[in-house]
Amino acid sequence: MSNEIIEGILEAIYLIFTLNPEVWSVIEVSFRVSLTSIFFAALVSLPIGSFIGLREFRGKRFLSNLINTFMGFPPVVMGLIVFLLLSAQGIFGSLGLLYSTTAMIIAQFLLAVPIIVGTGKAAIESVDPALKETVLSLGANERQLWWELIKHSKKSIIAGFLVAFGQAISEVGAVMIVGGNIRWATRTFTTSIVLQTRMGEFGMAIALGIILISIAFILNYGLTRLQGGDK
Amino acid sequence: MSERRTIKTIISEHKIVFLIVIILITGVSFGTFFIFDILSARNPTRIILATTTSTYDSGLLDYLLPEFTQKTGIEVSVLPVGTGQALVYGENGDVDVILVHSRSREDAFVNDSDGQTPYGINRACVMYNDFIIVGHENNPAELLPNDNITTVMIKLKDSIDVGNSTFYSRGDGSGTYSKELSLWSYISVTPDVEWFGQPEMYTETGQGMAATLQMTYQDTDNKGYTLIDLGTWLSFNDTYITLKNLAESVVGEDKLLNPYGVIPVNPDLNSHVKYSSVLKFVGFLTSEYGQNLINSYAKNGETLFHGAFGICNSTHNCPTTEEEVIFWTNYQQEFT
Repeated sequence: MSNEIIEGILEAIYLIFTLNPEVWSVIEVSFRVSLTSIFFAALVSLPIGSFIGLREFRGKRFLSNLINTFMGFPPVVMGLIVFLLLSAQGIFGSLGLLYSTTAMIIAQFLLAVPIIVGTGKAAIESVDPALKETVLSLGANERQLWWELIKHSKKSIIAGFLVAFGQAISEVGAVMIVGGNIRWATRTFTTSIVLQTRMGEFGMAIALGIILISIAFILNYGLTRLQGGDK
Repeated sequence: MSERRTIKTIISEHKIVFLIVIILITGVSFGTFFIFDILSARNPTRIILATTTSTYDSGLLDYLLPEFTQKTGIEVSVLPVGTGQALVYGENGDVDVILVHSRSREDAFVNDSDGQTPYGINRACVMYNDFIIVGHENNPAELLPNDNITTVMIKLKDSIDVGNSTFYSRGDGSGTYSKELSLWSYISVTPDVEWFGQPEMYTETGQGMAATLQMTYQDTDNKGYTLIDLGTWLSFNDTYITLKNLAESVVGEDKLLNPYGVIPVNPDLNSHVKYSSVLKFVGFLTSEYGQNLINSYAKNGETLFHGAFGICNSTHNCPTTEEEVIFWTNYQQEFT
């Protein structure tokens, strides 16, 4: 087995440096789906999460519990739901979106929203209440207060994005169901690794795993730097 | 924060005690599982069979295996994978016996030329079934019921080229995929060259037969076609009502016969395989009793598999040798 790992590492290097079109297609699909879904999820979830974190209202506890539950929503179940909605017999079947990257983005988006709402809410809530009072006493309106709180909890919010991104890029069940693992179209790192393992192509599977981990590491490193180099 | 610090202090003060406790707990639990696994792995009354999804999904094994267990007391654990993966499992000695359908790769698996030790020995031809082409009933490629397979493939290629049809391919190293490639090769087409990087023309699903059929059925413009074995098709044709077997005459055509071979993993290469139990298993499958069971398995009144031990020949794309028949006769007596 150990020689397969070495073989995988060598193959990974070879595949990257020869610009293997299949590997590039897989990289492109994986990142396009993950980044697009996280981008739109952030756009929707950050206002919702910070609103819930900022305000007190009836049913807040219930809503918080609901969000926390959905943060751990099983991805395959989400895949199944999106599949049923988009399949030819489903409500949105006429759109013909099944087995497309759009379908994958929809599933990933729905999985990411609760994560970003939940972490965003927690980030806003964890800001020192004294800061809130100070800002208000300086005559800030609610929108200015909201912006100040966002700036102060920047790190936690970015951490939330990273968690959501990590889930999206490493997810396999939902993207397999709604994307269909189509070569050149909807095949991602994870579904490709499943396929290569099934075919006994362990070298290629390990190579893809190594590339995925390396790219994720570089991206995380960049984002951590973005969080602020003060520490 | 303060609570975490207290826990930290407690741990650092009693480091060694904690370490020993953790090591003991993990050691004992892992040890128990380990011993349990070793004991069950040595158990000769349980063999592992790696096979294709078609034999499993069609329900054939669920029908055959209880009979075998009842007669011999040997249980068979089934790993339904693809032919490609089953062969790799066999090469690594992770399973005891394989049941697959790709004659050229089976021959490579038992190849003992140049003095090399083969991965498997005493291959036996067990049964065959047919492959068919299914597609949407509006039939954009205009396949006719009495077209032969060469005509079917040419029509499909022409229709794909002008964008009227999409072919759904397994693309996964399975026996079905090997067969599909050989069908394209009859009309000198290599899909990976012909439709390179064009999934809207030639869709490689990289998934099992059931998932690929589902994707063909879901094709947005109702222009999907796929190659499928008759056994799996009969298990699903009630579900996917708009899909039809469009070239009926290809059933039984030589080029579409799908012979299955059973191969024991070579005990000289992997001493831990339960060769003696495997001999009984293959003896059961190839015996008159086993062959009759295979022939009697039907769905919606249609026979899915045809017993082929000893009668397989080059027309079935699966020539049988005399040695093969003589060798297995000894092990069949128990079951006749």
